[in-house]
Amino acid sequence: MSASAAIRLQVETALAKRVPAALTLKIKQAPELFSTGIGEIDAVLGGGIPRGSITEIAGAASTGKTSFALSSIAAITQSGAACAWVDVSDALSPESAAAAHIVMKRLLWLRMSSDRKKPAADMPGSRLEQALTATDMLLQAGGFAAIVLDMSDVRPQDATRIPLQHWYRFRLAAEQARTALVLLTQTPCANSCAALALRSEPASVRPFSSNGETALFEGQRYRLVRERDRNESSALHRKKLSTRAEWNSGTPWSRVR
Amino acid sequence: MELWNTVVEGTVMYAVLHPPNFAAQVAAQQRPELRKRAFALVDGEPPTEVVVAANKAARSGGIEAGMSRLQAETVPGVIILRRVQKDELTAEAILHTIACMFSPRVECVESDAGTYALDIRGMNGLFGDETQLANKLRRRIMTAGFLANVAVAENFDAAVCLARGRTGVSVIPSGQEANALRDLPLHVLNLSEDHAETFKAWGIRTCGQFAALAEIDVISRLGPGGRQLHALARGEWPHLMFPMEPSFEDTLVERTELDFPVEALESLLFLLRCMTDVLLERVKTKARAIASLRIVLKLDGGKRHERVVRPALPLQDTPTLLKLLQLDLETHRPGGATVGLELYAQSATPYRAQHGLFLPQAPEPGRLEVLLARLRKLLGDERVGSVELKDDHRPNAFRIVPFAPAPPKKTDQPSFSVATSLRVCRPPQAVSVILVANTPARVFWDNQRYAVREIAGPWRVSGQWWSEANWCREEWDVRLETQDTERVCRIAYDPRSRCWYLQGTYD
Repeated sequence: MSASAAIRLQVETALAKRVPAALTLKIKQAPELFSTGIGEIDAVLGGGIPRGSITEIAGAASTGKTSFALSSIAAITQSGAACAWVDVSDALSPESAAAAHIVMKRLLWLRMSSDRKKPAADMPGSRLEQALTATDMLLQAGGFAAIVLDMSDVRPQDATRIPLQHWYRFRLAAEQARTALVLLTQTPCANSCAALALRSEPASVRPFSSNGETALFEGQRYRLVRERDRNESSALHRKKLSTRAEWNSGTPWSRVR
Repeated sequence: MELWNTVVEGTVMYAVLHPPNFAAQVAAQQRPELRKRAFALVDGEPPTEVVVAANKAARSGGIEAGMSRLQAETVPGVIILRRVQKDELTAEAILHTIACMFSPRVECVESDAGTYALDIRGMNGLFGDETQLANKLRRRIMTAGFLANVAVAENFDAAVCLARGRTGVSVIPSGQEANALRDLPLHVLNLSEDHAETFKAWGIRTCGQFAALAEIDVISRLGPGGRQLHALARGEWPHLMFPMEPSFEDTLVERTELDFPVEALESLLFLLRCMTDVLLERVKTKARAIASLRIVLKLDGGKRHERVVRPALPLQDTPTLLKLLQLDLETHRPGGATVGLELYAQSATPYRAQHGLFLPQAPEPGRLEVLLARLRKLLGDERVGSVELKDDHRPNAFRIVPFAPAPPKKTDQPSFSVATSLRVCRPPQAVSVILVANTPARVFWDNQRYAVREIAGPWRVSGQWWSEANWCREEWDVRLETQDTERVCRIAYDPRSRCWYLQGTYD
């Protein structure tokens, strides 16, 4: 044993009661990933969205955030796990969820009050506060593989005003509960608490088809940009991954044609 | 063996109460004016009703069990009544209650309605000897409005036969069963029709005559059933008593009356904790769990506030049950001060699950129930749960059902393309639309002016045309753009209100 190793062992032994393995580097475990159900995105993310972390997807309207989240939830519920959808604007379409092949019985849908004129009449707090409280409860209770906090319709100035302590709290709770918390926002707000930050944006416009005699909206093409991935530096990611992916979504009636 | 017989035979004593012609007695008790008149009870589906019972006056007038209603009506002066099963059940409950006053071990004799057998071993100290007890029992039954024969014997079936055949009180000394039964007619043995015919053909009319026959000869002619009848006639047929036990579920009730009205929920919860603890202890003695709790709050002014808390799975955990009660009462508050509490529990087999290491993640049932109750309190009942689609094309055609995830199980993933999702506006938002050639060209919404870049439609949908709730609309898929943004939306035109709405945005 070399002298340095002996000294290190001596120091570690002396500090063992207060700081176990003080001078030994902690081995970082490879994150468990949930497939998103979209091959192009899984390739960019190295397998999917990380479990036990916050994944934030920011982007304007009609950039595919909801389709992406529904596809991810569909893949997770099909694997047998339970998920929750915290719907700040009460905007989830059950028909779209069914078309995405979500196992409905495994999805808990929490709808915030849509009565915009009097949100505090009989409910404590605004819809956003309700959503944050409900998300906190879900994370503390545990047992959900993924929770989607859908703030897509929340104005950016309101979303960025959410105290950072909420996101710290959610990050810790998600880690303990081994839950993937997916945020859908117009602008990034979780900052460094998000292990994976994605930006969605429209790709090349896919025109309405005029295949038949009438025009038909058959789908969209979206682009997803990986802005930050805390697990990117993991030794497990041997090859350099691309930072952006383009993917298609189709309307249910386009499958019939 | 000899010692065992001595101990058992010397200690067991049965008293049997038998109200003869029970159905007629019940009818007379319900309508006292019938006591001095002839009446018969009929039962069955009209017009095939038959006579099932009649009082003595009617029987002497020629009424017999089994006669049709038409035949019975031909007998003059006889009132024909329909049998009321509910009254008979009530009368049976009264007799059972009286029997329970004299012994804790009571068995119902199923062949005769209203007949009960009591194990009166050790009751001497309370009611005197057997004769005194039998007399007290009979008097108590008479006070309740019934006439009953009471027989006491060491043999269960001998006491039953004697109560059927001898009026008043009969006490058989030990070992004298055969002598006591000797003169009774054979019908006290509750014979089948075939056996009754056989004995009539043999010319045997009393138990004594039957008991005098050789047992082997009886068995050779009547089979094993004959052996039982022979032993019954001798008063020697053994019987294992099965006492009636009060229903366990009926015991799961706790009641508290308050000295003064209480409004604060916290104070009530303190009482509820004690009551839940007691109920849970009671349930645990039977290795069961609480499946539901029904709480009845008696309010000041005579009103009642009733709530039922039903966990997804039976629980044996007081804090969880109490939390569910608390959240439910906080969500549905009683409209006044409480003066009394009643807590009813329903038991069930406890939930046991063997979780696998490699099964997918699922919420723990007990915690999930509390979580859902909390979320319902926060958001409202209709805003928490799983969604179930209705078979309808109307917008928002879905219902919210309680969230109860199926057991973790992997399913094969179908390989479909990713679906374009619609974000729905609830309620639909009114928009202004400029039409060019009957097609939307510009849309004004949320203080923004959008140009329609692409359009598909109209898709005309309607439903419920056969009722007042009929609806129809024209839907358009539009790609809207401003100078810096672009979005794909679904707008709809309602011909009835002549309004345009934004139904949702594709995202």
